[in-house]
Amino acid sequence: MNTSVTSIKLVLLGEAAVGKSSIVLRFVSNDFAENKEPTIGAAFLTQRVNMGDHTIKFEIWDTAGQERFASLAPMYYRNAQAALVVYDVTKPQSFIKARHWVKELHEQASRDIIIALVGNKLDIIENGGERKVAREEAENLAQQEGLLFFETSAKSGSNVNEVFLGIGQKISLKPAQNAQDGGQGSSGLRINDDSRIDLRAPYGQSSAAGSCNC
Amino acid sequence: MMSSERRASMAERRPSTLDRSSVSAERKGSVTVVPHLAGIEDPLPETTPEKVDVLLVGTGLVESILAAALSWQGSRVLQIDSNSYYGDTSATLTIDQLKQWVQDVNQGSMKCYESAKLHISSMMGRGVYRSRDFGIDLSPKILFAKSDLLSILLKSRVHQYLEFQSLSNFHTYENDSFERLTNTKQEIFTNPSLPLMTKRNLMKFIKFVLDWENQPEVWQSYKDQPMASFLVDKFKLEKAQVFELIFSIGMCYNINVKTPEALQRIRRYLTSFDVYGPFPVLYSKYGGPGELSQGFCRSAAVAGATYKLNETLVSYDPDSKIAIFGDGSRVSVSEKVVVAPTQCPENSQNVPEQKYEVQRLTCVVDKPCSEWFGEGEYASVVVFPPNSLKSGNRQAVQALIMGAGSDVCPRGTSVWYLSSTETGPRGEMDLDAALGALEESIMRESSADIENDEGLVEMDNSGHLTLNSVKLGQSFKEYSSRDKLQIIVKLYYKQFTSTPPFEVVDPSIFEINEPNNLATKKLIPGASDNGVLYTPLPSAEVSYDEAITAARILFQSIVGSDDDFFDLDFEDDDEKDQINESAVIDDDEDAKMNMALDVEMSVEPVEFAGEMEI
Repeated sequence: MNTSVTSIKLVLLGEAAVGKSSIVLRFVSNDFAENKEPTIGAAFLTQRVNMGDHTIKFEIWDTAGQERFASLAPMYYRNAQAALVVYDVTKPQSFIKARHWVKELHEQASRDIIIALVGNKLDIIENGGERKVAREEAENLAQQEGLLFFETSAKSGSNVNEVFLGIGQKISLKPAQNAQDGGQGSSGLRINDDSRIDLRAPYGQSSAAGSCNC
Repeated sequence: MMSSERRASMAERRPSTLDRSSVSAERKGSVTVVPHLAGIEDPLPETTPEKVDVLLVGTGLVESILAAALSWQGSRVLQIDSNSYYGDTSATLTIDQLKQWVQDVNQGSMKCYESAKLHISSMMGRGVYRSRDFGIDLSPKILFAKSDLLSILLKSRVHQYLEFQSLSNFHTYENDSFERLTNTKQEIFTNPSLPLMTKRNLMKFIKFVLDWENQPEVWQSYKDQPMASFLVDKFKLEKAQVFELIFSIGMCYNINVKTPEALQRIRRYLTSFDVYGPFPVLYSKYGGPGELSQGFCRSAAVAGATYKLNETLVSYDPDSKIAIFGDGSRVSVSEKVVVAPTQCPENSQNVPEQKYEVQRLTCVVDKPCSEWFGEGEYASVVVFPPNSLKSGNRQAVQALIMGAGSDVCPRGTSVWYLSSTETGPRGEMDLDAALGALEESIMRESSADIENDEGLVEMDNSGHLTLNSVKLGQSFKEYSSRDKLQIIVKLYYKQFTSTPPFEVVDPSIFEINEPNNLATKKLIPGASDNGVLYTPLPSAEVSYDEAITAARILFQSIVGSDDDFFDLDFEDDDEKDQINESAVIDDDEDAKMNMALDVEMSVEPVEFAGEMEI
């Protein structure tokens, strides 16, 4: 009954108006998630997804517009375990921008970040609009760079949940892998972090909450 | 609650499309609550706004707090910085950024700093360490557990972007050795070295200081007297206790500190104790004020502020209210232009005098220094009271020691931040003497038990065998031949500020930033900064205490009142999250480490970077 919760910081990247926010809104507001009402602070959106015996809590960080003038802070990429790089399947320019963001992530983010390349606005094509970014082209990029790849429609909701489930599945495989390659430096070097102080939990008040699982 | 003449707040101006009760509905959310998706819903324009309420130049901590406060209050904010990074005078820099910064200082393009000297060991060039393994603060700070900034961090939710760790060890340097501070009641009682009488007097004083303001009869006659006389006369304390109280607990700079000011500062420490645990102070991981600046900027951006790095203010005309930027673009400002003195336009003539000096010496050393940290902690404070050093220092030297666990430097190393308010060449002599004392102490302590050297043992398991054997070899050499400490990075600089090395936060110190020529409407002919409001630079103060005061006063002078200063009512987080938080940390840590290991480092061997002296 004590299901484990893994928290995943997920960052959003992509050209303006490709539907980054719509994808997230669709994800946090539809009812496929167990916890129907999304937990949202002003800092970032959070959404829980139950995956079998454990729960993944996505902490979704939007760029808040700071990418516009190349002004994203190191804080944005720090400790991000997953990223959505979104483009619009009807706008080739947005795909070029997506390549840029993938490169940026490789430079700025942690090496084992899981990146999902997401071609959005599939509904336009389904309704007779013209596709400008070939599926193969995107698949090639995904393969070269080791990305997950999805085509979605935030408008209809098509394939949106699969993006997050895909990331969740890939993440939940990770701890086991890490244990096997004996830490290429990462886990072995880490300090077991009991040192983090929760500012919302002053001394005395926190002890009750902390001990309740015993 | 809300008065009608107030500007519409964020919640009113940008109601969320995501209603709390029915998440997919298009209905508007409650107006008294900050919308959960503020800043995420509308595609943002690709160009700079043509019109803003407030233009902020510089992303130092004060400007960034101000940006967030104004943005959430409902002002349209544009914040720029001439640097390619956030933080300005509060920045946390990589080694490469630091090299550039030193060059800029010595070429005169980094205003308010002087005499930067940087030495970088060839270990950096050889690739043992990489630039991005380090986060060096230009003005390191510690956060008292009970303080303005901490409440604002919580209120604004900026704390969610940050990770905090505790700091409980405060050392006082005396007679060539470090005494750890006796800072809890239990420790005072159980400390065998304290005479019973001293214990009683100390306890009496601690009881008094917690409520000192309500007992003027005790201290009134010492209002203008040094704290030391007060402690000796009234509480019969010995020199050791007096020094600990004034310099380590109070973190004052010299022995002449006035009684009320010192009382205030001593209480700050004591009331912060046991708020989050048995320690008075916290700090943010990955860097101090630089991290906080980024957090407040992000918060401001979420509330709608526009950000532009690598942008300079060229001039501002208070009549047309047009600001012109380095790239030729311009913006119309409806209210105020607020500028950090470091980023003032060329030909500025209204910059407040920066007459106070802070001298800093920052070193990265090849020792973990865990001997100085409390259990499970990665930082400590060492204070050198006046006249405790070989240089015969008149002012205290304060040192903040940060270990690798705080993620500002690689495993096996630590960062030593030393600072002094002493001026001129004496300042550097004091800093050197303090460095020498630290070095001597760590060489003595760490060679005594090499087997317990955590850094070495854990290096063994990391897979970095080369690094490992090199380190091991060095340490054994140190053990046998008492070699000198390996200093990986050594940086001296002087910073100037309009803020005196203050004893208590006094709002009047910011009034000088109000351009008085505005009141008379007389503009200085040819000045490109007429009508500009200047922010204070960080002072020597080791705590964050001045930042919120400064931001609040500036906020008040822009908005007219400080009622709305972070008057926020966020929808509450799921309480369940708090309990589960601890389960997630390991993953984060792994990710972070890989990031640190991912960077390429320039290969050219660097012995010296930048011009050494002016």
